Amino acid sequence: MLNHIKKDFNTMTWVLIPVAIAINIAIGEIVVLLKLPVYLDSIGTVLVGVICGPWAGAVTGALSNTIWGFAIDPNALPWWPVAFFIGYMAGRMAIWGFFKSWWKVIVTGFVVAITAAIISTPIAVYLYGGITASGSSFITAYLLQTGQGVFQAVFSTSFLVEPVDKITTSMLAFAIVQGLSKRFIARFPRPENVEMEGGANQTQLYIAVGVVVVLVLFAAFMLRNILGG
Amino acid sequence: MHERLSFYVKRDSLIHCLNPLTKLTLVLAFVWVAFLTPYYWTPHLEILFGIIPLSFVGKVARSYLNAAVRIILPAASFLFIMQGLFQPIGSEAFFLFWFLHPTRESVMFAFANATRIFVMVSSFTLFLLTTHPSELMSDLTRRGIPGQFAYVIISTLQILPQMQAKAQTIISAQRSRGLDTESSYLKRASALFPLVGPLVFGSLVEVEERAIAIEARGFTSTHVKTSLHDVPDTSLDKAVRWFFIALALIALALRIWLS
Amino acid sequence: MSIINLQNITYKYPLTDSPALQNINLEVNEGEFIAVIGPNGAGKSTLCYTIAGFVPHFFKGEITGLVEVAGNESSKSSLHEWVLNVGLAFQNPFNQISGAKYTVFEEIAFGLENIGIPRDEMKSRVEDALKLTGISNLADRSPYSLSGGQQQRVALTSILVMHPKVLVLDEPTSQMDPIGTREVFGVIRKLSEKGMTVVMVEHKVEWIAEFADKVIALHNGSILLEGKPQEVLTSDLLTDKGFGISRYTSTAREAKELNLWKQKNLPVTLDEAVEGFS
Repeated sequence: MLNHIKKDFNTMTWVLIPVAIAINIAIGEIVVLLKLPVYLDSIGTVLVGVICGPWAGAVTGALSNTIWGFAIDPNALPWWPVAFFIGYMAGRMAIWGFFKSWWKVIVTGFVVAITAAIISTPIAVYLYGGITASGSSFITAYLLQTGQGVFQAVFSTSFLVEPVDKITTSMLAFAIVQGLSKRFIARFPRPENVEMEGGANQTQLYIAVGVVVVLVLFAAFMLRNILGG
Repeated sequence: MHERLSFYVKRDSLIHCLNPLTKLTLVLAFVWVAFLTPYYWTPHLEILFGIIPLSFVGKVARSYLNAAVRIILPAASFLFIMQGLFQPIGSEAFFLFWFLHPTRESVMFAFANATRIFVMVSSFTLFLLTTHPSELMSDLTRRGIPGQFAYVIISTLQILPQMQAKAQTIISAQRSRGLDTESSYLKRASALFPLVGPLVFGSLVEVEERAIAIEARGFTSTHVKTSLHDVPDTSLDKAVRWFFIALALIALALRIWLS
Repeated sequence: MSIINLQNITYKYPLTDSPALQNINLEVNEGEFIAVIGPNGAGKSTLCYTIAGFVPHFFKGEITGLVEVAGNESSKSSLHEWVLNVGLAFQNPFNQISGAKYTVFEEIAFGLENIGIPRDEMKSRVEDALKLTGISNLADRSPYSLSGGQQQRVALTSILVMHPKVLVLDEPTSQMDPIGTREVFGVIRKLSEKGMTVVMVEHKVEWIAEFADKVIALHNGSILLEGKPQEVLTSDLLTDKGFGISRYTSTAREAKELNLWKQKNLPVTLDEAVEGFS
């Protein structure tokens, strides 16, 4: 077991993790600047999880969250287990072969999103009573008003918010991997996770981007309806 | 884009001289007491008679108050407002607006929570203001944390400001080429790619050479690592640690006794 | 007695079809200054990585043949042991900054911390190394606040402090402005004069001619020519194969065809050209 963990960490991993954390934070801040309804603050975490391994991804997520909490917004601190599991699940899915083509990456994104929702719900409920310092709490509050139980309301909110964010994150991480040379990826512990299967071409990419755009618009539409109704 | 990442302020103070582990114990004790004792006023006492005086002893009062007002207070206030308005406890609401639902109970809960968070972040801020990252990492490595973790943390702290500066450059350059950061969702979403691409690939390219460079300096050596700087752990340190552990235990006893 | 010994080295990077190095045989004696020249893709960096142990330990791939430095065999050592024998510095000075330290002094001590050198010895080694490369005045600066030439000298110092037996330099001045180049070459020359064995990849032919004991010309992964600077750098074989040569050489060669160059040998440096034309 310990050897399995160690495998994730070679020198390239140790040098990649700080860069991945910096990518998380820089992109997360840019997204805030562009006022998009997503976080996109785990792209680096997913990247490390996929090409290095689940434990490396987990470390990246946890550290990234902690540093964000101290440097930018302290309200982010209690959520480090969520970031930990995002990295871990991304790595697991990649080992199981789910990062080798666009549609598989979408599946990974969805699984990571559900994981994030599952891990964050108890934190939101026990630490915050359901209402956290995030904009999505407006949705939770509304759902509570309609009579839903706290756990249900919180999980429903996450279920609405996370998939769009995490699927986009996974796809962007996949796009980054495609843009790196095979030689470069071969230096990391698990290059086999991203060996492209045949057919991962331009058409598939456009379809995948199309799917994401539809999802974003759908979520925005749903949001407006829920809050307006 | 954002404040400096290294909080450390170089001063010649009593607190700066303390061992990092001692200061960590102090922080954890503050947090423990704030969250454990059931009184609403404990966090306030800690801030008034603990944190603020300590910031003066550490000669970092101005930096601390600056951070408190600009970062911590807004964060705690936002939490207070969110929880005060939405927390589903209590029955009698002050007012009903849309689905906002503040009650006496929710406001008090929110207030207590917000002040506790305020104490937690304040004490960590104080810690970061008086402890140099190198010193912290040297000490932790000496106590058994693997050297690679220390490497990752400090490297991140150094890369982040560089990355943010790069991001600023790219944003300005794209803006001058007509990139619109104000328009519709779709336009803004597609604005993401020209911003993110150069930033990400530029930083990733360096990874291989830097890995070779640190390998060339024995990064993967199996020897027991030594440290250039000596981080002392004096008897004053031990005394302070025990004092705060005692405080924490008293708080625990109080909690058990009162419930 | 040769301190570097490469026998029949053939190496192929992972995921490639053709070998980067083919049947390389090389012997370097202690204290020699060897310059390696060649067009892009000739295998110069690969040769550096092979002597420094990164081929094959870091890059993996397939290697056959013997790599021996100071009596140790590369195949029988681990990379972290090997780097104690061979120091490596390369082109980009910024990427050689570890990122783990806040001052130049600490940066140089980084390697010694990793290999477990006791604190007192560490301090004296760093101070000596700083004096050797002439950057004692930079000791308290942040490595990120330095110029390219200064950063490269810090990189060199960080390697020297580990007391390697051999120094391998892969185009150390390619990314430098003229001042930086002069600073770095100054340090390298001083080290060579003190007896350090140096293997350096360089394009600046005039410098090579002045300092190198031997020049190796690589082409397509094999050694095309090997010999004294004067012989190798003026050889017609170089121009045929597309190597860059000194402008003095090419000028004198054209002058020779017009019967204006009367010396037997073509010049490589400015001084030789001036002497020859007068």
